Amino acid sequence: MLNEQLLERLVTDLKPVRRRTWRRDALVFALLCVIELALFAGLGSARPDICAAMALPSFWWKLGSLGAIAVVGAAVAIVSLDPVESPRRGLHWLVGIVAICLAIGWLIDASGGGLQGLVARVDWPDGLECVGSMVLLSVPPVVGLGLLMRRGAPTDSGGTALAVGIAAAAWGAFVFVFACPYDDPLYVAVWYAVGCGLVTGFARLVLPWLTRW
Amino acid sequence: MAGSDWGALMVAAQAGNGRVYHRLLTEVGDWLRRYYTRRLPPAMVADAVQDTLLAVHEKRHTYDPSRPFEPWLAAIARYKWIDRLRAMKSTPTEALTEDIAVTDHGDAVASAWSLERLLRELKPAQSDVIRLVKLQGLSIEEAAARTGQSISLVKVNIHRGLGRLASMVQRQPDAE
Repeated sequence: MLNEQLLERLVTDLKPVRRRTWRRDALVFALLCVIELALFAGLGSARPDICAAMALPSFWWKLGSLGAIAVVGAAVAIVSLDPVESPRRGLHWLVGIVAICLAIGWLIDASGGGLQGLVARVDWPDGLECVGSMVLLSVPPVVGLGLLMRRGAPTDSGGTALAVGIAAAAWGAFVFVFACPYDDPLYVAVWYAVGCGLVTGFARLVLPWLTRW
Repeated sequence: MAGSDWGALMVAAQAGNGRVYHRLLTEVGDWLRRYYTRRLPPAMVADAVQDTLLAVHEKRHTYDPSRPFEPWLAAIARYKWIDRLRAMKSTPTEALTEDIAVTDHGDAVASAWSLERLLRELKPAQSDVIRLVKLQGLSIEEAAARTGQSISLVKVNIHRGLGRLASMVQRQPDAE
């Protein structure tokens, strides 16, 4: 027998609800990203030599790769907030995109003069600073997508949290590209991977627990 | 699956129609009871049904009327089933007494059949202790004595076995 008390409690004072749609979620997230980017640019955080940097292929490689990962990651995360949808296929696509991005970076690197002075190129003190900035810039998209995840009904919380983490990390790094003075693909591959990995790992561990329903 | 047009009932419920919503939850509750009877030990069915009804209520805004209601409900039911399997890892199992009342033997048989099918996919050391402790209600010590495993190994095998069971269910499409 069903608990009649429970049914009465759920039915009493039933309020109309506004339906969740992926379009509205995507719009909310896009708005959040635009606001973050505008604030970042408005605060004068962009690198001073940005015009010169835009002539380099590595600048566009960074921007294009991170933008593609952020867009696909956010799409996978938002679609999977529907209980009927799984994020798994989208995550496979994301892995493929990340691999292609790294391969393009390697090609740019290989055409730029060999592998001399690898350790010097990695430049770890500045690298750690970059990681800190990327993580900080990933906070708004993690919070925004996390709130959407809490309102939605993901049935594969682990997969959705992974997509959220990848999208937020890639977006944070995307914004950081405008300030980062480094265009060396090796530097970018190492430190951007560390920064994105930290944000993604955090989201994967914490979000399923915070958004449990 | 549905006796009436549950999708239309949910649309009315989303608009705030309490009377229709009561009817929908009653019918969905009956369906959920049958669903969990085939998948969980009888003692867990009522809690699983209530838990899922609460989830349906909290997430009713995620139902899209342009799509069928049944897969939406089945996805939530399956999510809560996996949740229950995971929760069994941390739930202490009380030993059964001889005078415990058995009201519906058919449900118990159906559940045991479905669980048995899943348990066969596990390693024998894991499935044996899950059967003894989680389904038959033996203590960890009794299961250890019966299987020849140490007490800590019994705990580890229950923990890992239930985790694997939940992962298997998550990966495989539901036949319902």
